[in-house]
Amino acid sequence: MSQPLAVRLQASGCLTALGNAVATHSALLRGEVALRARPVLGADGGESVPLALVQGRGFDETAPPNWLPAVRALVATLAGEGWGSARRPVFVTSSNFGVGSLYAYRRHGDAAHLAFGTPHLCVEWLARELGWGANVTTVSHACVSAHLGLLLATRALEAGLAESALVFSFDFISPFVTGGFNALKILNAGFPAPYADRATGSIGLGDGAAFAVLTRDTGDFSITAQSLHNEMHHFTANRADGAGFAACLEPLRGAAAGRRVWLKGHGTGTLEAGKLESAALTAAFPDAPLVAWKGSLGHTLGSCGLVELALASESIRSGHAPGTVGTSTPTFSPAVIVEPFSTQTTDAVVCASNAFGGAHAAFILSHA
Amino acid sequence: MSDPLKTRLKQLIVTTLKLEDVTPAELADDEPLIGSGLNLDSIDALELVVTLEKEFGVKIASSEESRQALASIAHLAEFIRARADPARIAG
Repeated sequence: MSQPLAVRLQASGCLTALGNAVATHSALLRGEVALRARPVLGADGGESVPLALVQGRGFDETAPPNWLPAVRALVATLAGEGWGSARRPVFVTSSNFGVGSLYAYRRHGDAAHLAFGTPHLCVEWLARELGWGANVTTVSHACVSAHLGLLLATRALEAGLAESALVFSFDFISPFVTGGFNALKILNAGFPAPYADRATGSIGLGDGAAFAVLTRDTGDFSITAQSLHNEMHHFTANRADGAGFAACLEPLRGAAAGRRVWLKGHGTGTLEAGKLESAALTAAFPDAPLVAWKGSLGHTLGSCGLVELALASESIRSGHAPGTVGTSTPTFSPAVIVEPFSTQTTDAVVCASNAFGGAHAAFILSHA
Repeated sequence: MSDPLKTRLKQLIVTTLKLEDVTPAELADDEPLIGSGLNLDSIDALELVVTLEKEFGVKIASSEESRQALASIAHLAEFIRARADPARIAG
């Protein structure tokens, strides 16, 4: 599905292992890698894998979850009141919510963990903690969850159901989540090198939370087109010909016609998807520079679309975009940019994300 | 004479993946396991890898290594022999 309505981005922000959006953007420009080798199962040990945790947060679950202070700090930067009221809906997105709490309950038997262990319980608790009203919608679509939240918020604005909408996303990694990716072998001892043409692929995982406030006509940035496409091909695999990636990008080509764009790709560090994604992006937008930031931040899962939206807007605002930190040559495409570059000669950025199940999402962000 | 390790691996595959239309004896040593042949997918591969790691105490480091090991029964047997404690192979 695609969405032609242009909405304004009134505000955005994020929190990563490198700090808030400004701090993270600056650190990425310097080429800093937030990922550190840590035992995949936390206190239970296991293989050391690259993980990026918000500063000061323990990896193993607590009850209440130890990521609440970080979320509070992020939300404190959000202007305005009345979120969750009739005309100011909140769309909360995540791929994991508090699922690690269920694993903690299973391991330790402490029933206090159960209050956060399902998406709705976790979001209800979070809404109470943050003072939001009842107009809160819980959305999950694996690693394109945040994109789906943006699309739903856009539709609420388009339908006149909201005067502004808050999309909020959070994914704080836990031993349950990292253990699962480790079992799939795509999270392993290697550090991610997005789009690098090498023998072995690997991803990193990172904490991420972010928000975006959308309105119809107020804000310095516009989201001029959005696209979401699901291949419906397989539980985990993409079609080998890359048709799903191309189908998602196709609606954006028209919207980007005549504009000088740069590309913020998904770029987790896996080989097959990285190859397909970079080929599709460069075919749809020839000559556009391509970067991805998960080689530093790790994959922030369902929140990556919103985290990277905040960083992309910071890149446009400052005139400088970070390069593909952590990668190495040769890369799958000469369009992959390793070093930071100026965004001042461009008009817009295409931000793309992909997910298990062949779900693909993208949007175009530019100055209003 | 049949290779006891390959026979054991075939039995493990049929049991782990609950294959109903094929018997261990019907699995050829060089038959591709993933994508063609048995047409196993990535979820099947995950189940097999977890089983193999437990059964033989081997460590499969990456998805690429997993794919190489699971190319066929013969590849898998070679991988296990190179990595596992002989006592565990003997079962």
